[in-house]
Amino acid sequence: MNRATQSTQPAARAAAGRIRIGLILVVLASVIAGGALWARRTATYARLLRTEPQQVLTNPDLLGVALRLGAPLYQRHCTGCHGAAMHGNPRRGVPDLAAGGWLYGTNPVDVEYTIYYGIRSGHPKARNLTDMPALVRTGQITPQDAHDAVEYLLSLAGKDHDAAAALRGKLIYGNKGNCFDCHAHDARGVFDYGTPALTGPVYQYGGDRETLYQSIRNGRHGQCPAWVNRLTPLQIRALSLYMLAAQRGDPARS
Amino acid sequence: MTEDDAFFDVSKPSVRRSMTLMAGGALVGLVIAGYGLFTAKGTRSTGVPPEAVALVNGKPILRSDYMTQTQAQFTLPFDQTNAAQRRKTLDDMVNEELMMQRGLEIDLPSYDPEVRNALVAGVELEVSADALAQQPTEQELRNFYEAHKDRYSSEGIMQLRDLVARNGAGSSGASPHAVALAAAAAFHRGEALDAVIRRYGLIDSGRFMDAGHVDLGDLFQFAVRAKLDDALYGAALRLGDGELSEPIDEQDGTHLIAMLRHKLPVAQRFDQAQDKVFLDFKKEARDKVLETTLKYLHGRADITLSREFGP
Repeated sequence: MNRATQSTQPAARAAAGRIRIGLILVVLASVIAGGALWARRTATYARLLRTEPQQVLTNPDLLGVALRLGAPLYQRHCTGCHGAAMHGNPRRGVPDLAAGGWLYGTNPVDVEYTIYYGIRSGHPKARNLTDMPALVRTGQITPQDAHDAVEYLLSLAGKDHDAAAALRGKLIYGNKGNCFDCHAHDARGVFDYGTPALTGPVYQYGGDRETLYQSIRNGRHGQCPAWVNRLTPLQIRALSLYMLAAQRGDPARS
Repeated sequence: MTEDDAFFDVSKPSVRRSMTLMAGGALVGLVIAGYGLFTAKGTRSTGVPPEAVALVNGKPILRSDYMTQTQAQFTLPFDQTNAAQRRKTLDDMVNEELMMQRGLEIDLPSYDPEVRNALVAGVELEVSADALAQQPTEQELRNFYEAHKDRYSSEGIMQLRDLVARNGAGSSGASPHAVALAAAAAFHRGEALDAVIRRYGLIDSGRFMDAGHVDLGDLFQFAVRAKLDDALYGAALRLGDGELSEPIDEQDGTHLIAMLRHKLPVAQRFDQAQDKVFLDFKKEARDKVLETTLKYLHGRADITLSREFGP
C-alpha cells in the first residue's frame, strides 16, 4: 500500500459515513411524510364521519372521498342482491333503487341505519316494523277478494283491468284487507314502515297479475343483512353516500 | 481526524455520536410512551372517536343511532332538528346508557326475574333470528309436509269401553281368558253388549272414569292413547263402530275393547295444512339453532352439579 492511498482512507470513510447518515435521513423523512399523509387521511375520514351525511352530499371534497371508498364496497358486498346498476331483483324482492324503489326513503340517516342493522336481518335493531301478511292463506280475505284487490292495484297503475272487480277491490284495499294501513290510502307506500308503493311503475316483486296475487295470498318477507359487525362505521357511511349519490331516489315518494 | 469526521465515520467510536443517538432514541421513546398513555384502551381517552357522539365510561354511543333516535324522537329529518333537540336526544341516550351500566354493575339480571326473562328471551331471539327470518320456499314446505305427514291430520275420535274379565268373573269359575272368549263369542253371535257384560260379569277397567262414572262420551285418540297401553290401544285402533276386540291378557285380567264409535283421523292435504306446516317448519328450525347454541354454551361452561345428581 503506498502513502497516497493511506492518506486518502480516512476521508473516504468519512464520505461513506455521510452517505449512510444521508440515507437514514431520507428514510426518516419518508416515514415522516408517510405519517403525515396517514394523519391527513385519518383526519379526512374523521371529518367524513363527523359531518352530517346530508351535508356531505353537498360537499364535493368529502363526497369524493365517500365515493372512492364506497364504490368498491358496493361492488364487493351489494351487487349480489342489488345488481351492479342497483336495479335489484324482483324475483327475490330486492327493490330497484335505480328507479326509486327506496323502501325506507332517501334520507341519508335512514339509509345508513338500514345498512347498519338491515331489514328483518335478525339483528335486534333491524327494521322489522311490518311484514306483508299472507292475507289469503290466513283467511283474512278470500281468493276472490285478492283478485279484486289486484284489479284495483292495476287500475291505480293505469294498466288494463276489470273495472267492476277494481271497484270491489278498492273496498278490499280500504276495509277488509286493511291494505291502506301500511301502504297508505293512495297506495304510494310509507317510508316509516318500509312499505313499497303499489302504484307502479316500480314494483318490488313485479307488477303483473299473478305476482301481485301471490304477494297478497302468501305475504312477503324481504330481507337485507345487517352490516354493523362486518363493515366499519366509516365504510357504512361511505357505502350509504355512494348509493345515494349514485341514485337519489324517486322524488314523487319523498 | 477531526471530531466532525469521527461523528460521521461509523467505523470509529464517537462519544458525541453515541450521546446524540441516545438522546434521539430517548426522545422518540418518550413521545411514543406519551401517545400510548393518553390514547390506549383502558385509560381515559382524550377524544371521542368520529363514529361516536359520546363515550360513556368508554362505551361509545354511535352517531348513526343518535341521528336515528333524534329523528324518531322529534319526527323530523335529522338535518331539520335544532341544537336543543339534538342535545336532548344525546342526554337521554347518555342517561339510558348510565342506567344500563348501573344495572350491570349491581348485577340486576342475577336477581330480577323480569330482567332475567328479558335477557333470556333476547338471547333466544338473537340466536334464532336468522332461522326465523329465513323464509322457506313452497318446495321446502312441501318436503317438510311429506316428511311429517302424520302430524297433519284431523284428530281421531273414539267412544269405547275397556272391559275386563277378572278372576272369578262369571258363574262357572273359568279362567278370565275363557270368560272373555265366551263373552266375545256371544257378542259376535249378536247378543247386545250390555247383556254380554251382565252375563259374563265383565267390568269397566276404570281407565276411562270421569267424576266417578265411566266416560262414554267422545274421546280424542291422543287421550285414549294416554290411558291405554300399547296392546290395548293397538286393538282399539283396529276396531270400527260397534266392534269388539279379541281377548287381551293383562296383569289385572283379560280385556275386551268395545268400540262404540270410531271416527278415524282424516289426513289434511298440503294446502289445508300449509299454515301449520309453515309454523312447524319455523319452530323446528328455531329449536335446532337453540339446541346447537345450548350445546356450545354447555361445552364451554364450567358446570358443577351437586352430588345427588351423580358424577
